[in-house]
Amino acid sequence: MSHFSLLSDLIDLDGKLEKDSTIDLDSRRQRDRRIGRSLQHDRNQPVAQIRAWLHEITVGDAPKNGPQGARLYHVLCVLLLVAGLLTGWGLASAALYYDGQQPINVVNAVLVLVLPQVLLLLVWLLTALPVRLPLFSQLGASLGFLNPGRLTGQLASLFIKGDDRGLALLWHPDNAAVLTPAARWLFSFWSQLFAFSFNIGLLMCTFFLVSSSDLAFVWSTTLTISDAAFQQLLTVFSAPWSTFLPEGVPSAELVSNSRYYRLDEGTLAGATATPQLAGELGKWWPFLIAAVTGYGLLPRLVTLAFSWYRFRHHLRRALCNLPGAPELLARMNSPLVSTLAAEPEQAFKMSANDGTVKQQAGQYALQCAVIDWAAACADEAAMTGLLAAMGIGVEAFYPAGGRQSTEADAALGRSLCRRSREGIGILVRAWEPPTLEFTDFLSALRRQCGDRKPVIVLLMGDADGVTASDRDTWQLMLSQLRDPDLHVEVIGKTA
Amino acid sequence: MSVPEFAIVGHPNKGKSSIVSTLSEDESVTISPVPGTTIDNRHYPMAVDGEILYELIDTPGFQRARAALEWMRSHVGSAVDRASTVRRFVDEHQQDPRFEAEVHLLTPILEGAGILYVVDGSRPFGEDYEAEMEILRWTGQPSMALINMIGDSDYSDDWTKALGQYFRIVRVFDAMKADFDRRVQLLLAFGELREAWRDTLEKAVRILREEQARRRRLATQVIAEMLARMITHVRRRRLEPDVVMDAARDELLDTYKQDLVAMEQRCRDEVEQIYNHRDMERNEPVVQLLDEDLFARQTWVLFGLTRQQLVATGAIGGAAAGSMIDLAVHGTSLLLGSGLGALAGGVSAWLTSDRIANVKVLGHPLGGKEVSIGPMRNINFPYVVLGRALLHQRMIEARTHAYRGPLEVDARPGQLQLADTHARRRFEKLFAKLRKQESYRTDLVTSLAELIEQQLTMSLA
Repeated sequence: MSHFSLLSDLIDLDGKLEKDSTIDLDSRRQRDRRIGRSLQHDRNQPVAQIRAWLHEITVGDAPKNGPQGARLYHVLCVLLLVAGLLTGWGLASAALYYDGQQPINVVNAVLVLVLPQVLLLLVWLLTALPVRLPLFSQLGASLGFLNPGRLTGQLASLFIKGDDRGLALLWHPDNAAVLTPAARWLFSFWSQLFAFSFNIGLLMCTFFLVSSSDLAFVWSTTLTISDAAFQQLLTVFSAPWSTFLPEGVPSAELVSNSRYYRLDEGTLAGATATPQLAGELGKWWPFLIAAVTGYGLLPRLVTLAFSWYRFRHHLRRALCNLPGAPELLARMNSPLVSTLAAEPEQAFKMSANDGTVKQQAGQYALQCAVIDWAAACADEAAMTGLLAAMGIGVEAFYPAGGRQSTEADAALGRSLCRRSREGIGILVRAWEPPTLEFTDFLSALRRQCGDRKPVIVLLMGDADGVTASDRDTWQLMLSQLRDPDLHVEVIGKTA
Repeated sequence: MSVPEFAIVGHPNKGKSSIVSTLSEDESVTISPVPGTTIDNRHYPMAVDGEILYELIDTPGFQRARAALEWMRSHVGSAVDRASTVRRFVDEHQQDPRFEAEVHLLTPILEGAGILYVVDGSRPFGEDYEAEMEILRWTGQPSMALINMIGDSDYSDDWTKALGQYFRIVRVFDAMKADFDRRVQLLLAFGELREAWRDTLEKAVRILREEQARRRRLATQVIAEMLARMITHVRRRRLEPDVVMDAARDELLDTYKQDLVAMEQRCRDEVEQIYNHRDMERNEPVVQLLDEDLFARQTWVLFGLTRQQLVATGAIGGAAAGSMIDLAVHGTSLLLGSGLGALAGGVSAWLTSDRIANVKVLGHPLGGKEVSIGPMRNINFPYVVLGRALLHQRMIEARTHAYRGPLEVDARPGQLQLADTHARRRFEKLFAKLRKQESYRTDLVTSLAELIEQQLTMSLA
């Protein structure tokens, strides 16, 4: 796939992951693992997995930011291409201007059309050096402002509206940790695209001038340099193409014939001007074309391809390193381990029913039969004393609950009610909350004894006393019986 | 082979739900001091990609155990018929509201689930448990008793003696404090109930260990990302012409602090989510910047270029234009054209830059004054943030899902120190690189995460 769609996917992925973070993690885990399992063939290809995930997740809801960002990227590429072509054309038409008066100095033409390009190429090489080397990092940062690609990035920001970062995502400070390398190579790609089209413009203009007009090239110098030495210099300069384009290397004869002196409206060193000589002087153009191609176009093609490759490489890396993407990959590729409940809970919430359970410790003046529920009482004598302090006289202790049968419990209730006591106390362990079995017993007791006979549930604590929580639990539970003569009392202290 | 199932049964309010919540890492389980909160069975399957390896079943507590046992005793023929009598009890009382709890809790056991009988070891043994244990014994299913230590007192010896008469295996398990290892040890012990379950449970434990390691890796990755973001964070603000610089800087400092707090909070939330803690209350003092005198820079930008860069660009452009003149006169100008062009370009860029900067294109200003704050230069800051994050992670990893109190992350100074000087040196190297704005190197974050994981593993060992 092209880096256009990679770019589009990167922009969409950023938006999707940001929105995704608001979704419950469990739902994301379920969804992502399901998608991940269907992509097991891409298990070792995280980029393919992430892109497939994105396409799966956006089915029916195609995002717009990515395609818009990619479109803007295309537009800027085209603009740079056109700008490069026009600039190249303009420069070539200026450098190769010839009105029949003064021939074109081939040395000047090379200096204008080739030398700056070589220098700028060197600058690019310096900025493209690995930034991890401290010196080059500084150098790259210092020279970076010369990069037309970076200016293009600034230009692109003008077209981006609202919160959607679109293409500007690449150089947005929030994502610098992940996207700076991609942005750096995008700027490099743009600058090389400009430079490449600039060279195309140069060549097109040169071809146009060569084919549509007669150009006369000469060379001129004040230095005492012989034709042979100059020709030798040109041969070295033309070395890159001399083997497969020999006509691009100026011959000794051409060099000798086109040496030019401007004295007295200009004279050629070799001979007087003749139509043959005019034709001869035009033969410099293959050299000029080869020089622009060899030192301008081809190196820029290489840097363009390299920048494109690096940009694509970093786009792919960024896809896997965007905030949330590593976690997404982990969710897709790790087995979905769940230990959570399979269904929602059906919990019973008891509401407090105040006023139906009485508490009046120390105010009783009752003689009570005390039921020892589930052998709660370990020391009857001590318990008798504690209850007396509460105003409850103990007639006797009667076992119920625990190892007693329910029939025996019912019989005990009947018997105690018949004897018409002043009240009945039930001694329980406060930390054992009332079961329905106990509340059954209380209800049966109320039925057998009739209304108004006080039934006092006596909460017995452990060594630390009865906790407030245990007391509250008993009160809450027994309040559900709505028995106005049911009391809950704590024996001793509350912890 | 059927999936091992374990029914968690017992008296009301003895911590059945706490144990289920801890083992299943599910904080949605209602844990209430009020008995009878659990009114129906709830299933907690341990599933790996949909494949269920075992299942825990939380059940209501016994409510009328004596009455149920009396019914069974009155209907049993001989000891051989006990299991079928329990089954008959369940069948005949399906619609009986009196025995709703007993029917619910006995149903999975009669279908083959192992019994995990839970008692509170911090309270004394009582007679009222005997009927429950007897009924469970009648079912004939493999069983284990778990002594859950809810309070501070310890009656586990008495309980062990009493439970030993009814259950082959008796274990003490504190649902509120059990760390991961204790949890998986308990799961392995379930395998002792039935030989056929052992392999499956061992597989489940292996997967749970891998999952725990994965969670730790994820958590350290989240912490490393937070650290990298906090260390490299820079806040910028374009200054409007009428804004006072000091006021703008103070405002920016406040925003910067809020950003750091938000980054830390987000990290905490993510770590908690990784460990299935979602609805937890957390009390933690906000991170301090240590250094209020943060480096605030005022720069001027146009098209992303500083003024110096803009002047240089203007000068280069002017020189290029001037070189055309030099070219036109065949160099007789002695590069005067280039020189003058550079001068003119540079000076005009300098003089006109302010006006161009204030021009808005498509609503965006082309440039202007900008104030920025950050990144954090204080060398202790990353250690404070890291220390806090490590403490929080350790607390979260150790916290059981049965515990519902707030998480008090109150780091004491001693807890923030990295005892290992070698580790500190490695951390410092990474922090220094991050401070130098090499943040785009994602491998730095990965290295940081690895180092944090090592640190965590060492501290947990």
